[in-house]
Amino acid sequence: MSLANIASAKAQPSLLARLFARQELALFVCLILVLVFFSVTVENFFSVRNMTNVLGQASLALTAGIGCAIVFISGEVDISIGSLLATIALPLIIIMNDTNSLLLGVSAALLFGLIIGVVNGYLTAYAGINSLIVTLGTMFIMRGGVYLYTGQRAIPDNASLDSFIALSDGRLFNIIPYSAVIAIVLLAAFGYMMQHRPFGRQIYAVGGNQEVARLAGYDVRRVKFICFIISSLLATVAGIILAARVGSAQHTAGLNFEFQVVAATVLGGVSLAGGIGSLTGMALGVLILQFLSNGLRGLGLPTEWQLVITGMIIIAAVAFDEAKRRRANGG
Amino acid sequence: MSELTHASAPKRFIGGQLLGSSQLVLGVILAVLCIAISIAAPQFHSEANIIAILRQCALVLVVASGMTMLIITAEVDLSVGASLAFVGCIGMAVLNSTHSLALGMLAALAFAGGVGLFNGLVVTRLRVNSLIATIGTMMMLQGGVYLFTREAVQNHNQLASFTDLGAGYVGPVPVPVILAALIFVVAYVTLRFTTLGRYLYAVGANEKAVRLSGVRSERLKLFAFVVTGLCVGVAGMILSSLMNAGQPTAGRGFELTVIAAVILGGTSLLGGRGSLFGTLLGVLVLKVIDNGIIILGWNQDLQMVVPGVVIILATYLDIIRNRANVR
Repeated sequence: MSLANIASAKAQPSLLARLFARQELALFVCLILVLVFFSVTVENFFSVRNMTNVLGQASLALTAGIGCAIVFISGEVDISIGSLLATIALPLIIIMNDTNSLLLGVSAALLFGLIIGVVNGYLTAYAGINSLIVTLGTMFIMRGGVYLYTGQRAIPDNASLDSFIALSDGRLFNIIPYSAVIAIVLLAAFGYMMQHRPFGRQIYAVGGNQEVARLAGYDVRRVKFICFIISSLLATVAGIILAARVGSAQHTAGLNFEFQVVAATVLGGVSLAGGIGSLTGMALGVLILQFLSNGLRGLGLPTEWQLVITGMIIIAAVAFDEAKRRRANGG
Repeated sequence: MSELTHASAPKRFIGGQLLGSSQLVLGVILAVLCIAISIAAPQFHSEANIIAILRQCALVLVVASGMTMLIITAEVDLSVGASLAFVGCIGMAVLNSTHSLALGMLAALAFAGGVGLFNGLVVTRLRVNSLIATIGTMMMLQGGVYLFTREAVQNHNQLASFTDLGAGYVGPVPVPVILAALIFVVAYVTLRFTTLGRYLYAVGANEKAVRLSGVRSERLKLFAFVVTGLCVGVAGMILSSLMNAGQPTAGRGFELTVIAAVILGGTSLLGGRGSLFGTLLGVLVLKVIDNGIIILGWNQDLQMVVPGVVIILATYLDIIRNRANVR
């Protein structure tokens, strides 16, 4: 980290160049371009209704993306979040059906999420198993477990609590969906933690150079352990929002969700190598992809084309970013 | 880093040529599994069942052979599942319109090899992380296959030679098993006994050192991507022959099964370490578990849970064993 600072101080680039070197600014410009393009080409795209709708849709990936980005920054990966979405919906819906209490249901879901985070974190940080393997394993175990338990059938939400339904279609001041409010609050809180709290800086240090972080006296294992717990708990929140939206515990919920989140996070400039990136970048990455898919649908393109174009954009964006970084490093 | 380079050096202890580090653990797991299932269900070791297991292994092993090479070079390909489905559809469509197995096969190989080439170029030229690049390709292929065909491409010819590809036998051995064995042997010899193979290990262990010693590391990675693609081409044709149609929905999660088998076999995701023999054992373990669950009459959804446990457990055992060795 400090080495990079010294290097950039030596080069002394102009203010403008330094501004554009900021990942977030480049992403912000991309987002504006996407918005402008679709505002011109798609009717009703730039309406309050559509904007807030997209924000609501993006809340799932935004919430889970915080955890994904934090785990990436710590130098690990978590691809179990898609299966987790389906898993925690079971205790949530079942407990709610039994007790008619949103609080108990959500507590049960968070407890499940916590346990999954502890398992992922322990196996990675303390047992020393590669996190891709661990979370690939727990991804299989959870998805299989959900199939086993449900017999591949959805469990409907019979309680139909108003507070739970409000999570899917309720809006703050009748404008912003509650799910988006939750995502924004979490984003602000964790963004503050990552940039201004000692623990956040420890995560960057651990991901940037594990050996240096250890020598500086940080408990590397504990930091990584906690990152996995954060990731699982945030994915749990996303899972609760999803369950509210579909009004049931779906055994197929969150299939491929981990890939979408990983793609958006990397698009947002969070490096898989660890130590680089910000939650702002991740959020911009999620919004770009979400507005893109919404706009393409507005243009009347079938979902298949959306997949194709999204795939191309992810590759192009990361390639562009990589080229920029190499030029900045002088090679 | 020193650990990696050390591990990539050829092993010389007794039996080490064949049974490197984690293969021993895996061999024991496989043996215990086979014995346990045989005791619980004697029909497990009937000839018919063994052939059935081998046939199921074939498809995974074909792709896993290429994937092992790729992961040894420290890259990964998540698009193989989506590519498998697309290849099956294209191969079948060409077969239907040309009535020629050779042309269908050629189209499948060209397409799958092209996907591999694309992945390889994006990773080596544009320097995109392979995990992200191939997620991108996966999305493009998943969308693309539905643009190509909305429903399964049915087999209109019923060419005997095509049906044999998936369902035929040579003596008692199924054709896909022979194909898988051929590809496995070629890949094994390449990795083990050729300069090219040793360079693939070297690129994965320390790419910079390889480049500084005058070898074009990008070409080696590109090679591994294309080989993986070609393997998917073969597997795609076998699969569409088995299903007697090209299914756009085929291959969901196939990439994860393949990668799980390779990792289970002790190939390190960091590159530079691993062996095809381990991959073979990994594929066998996963498929014996699958088969055992069916034979014992257990719930088939366990076919997802048990491999998950086995992957984590086997990796953990390997870590413990390595620690013991260091002491």
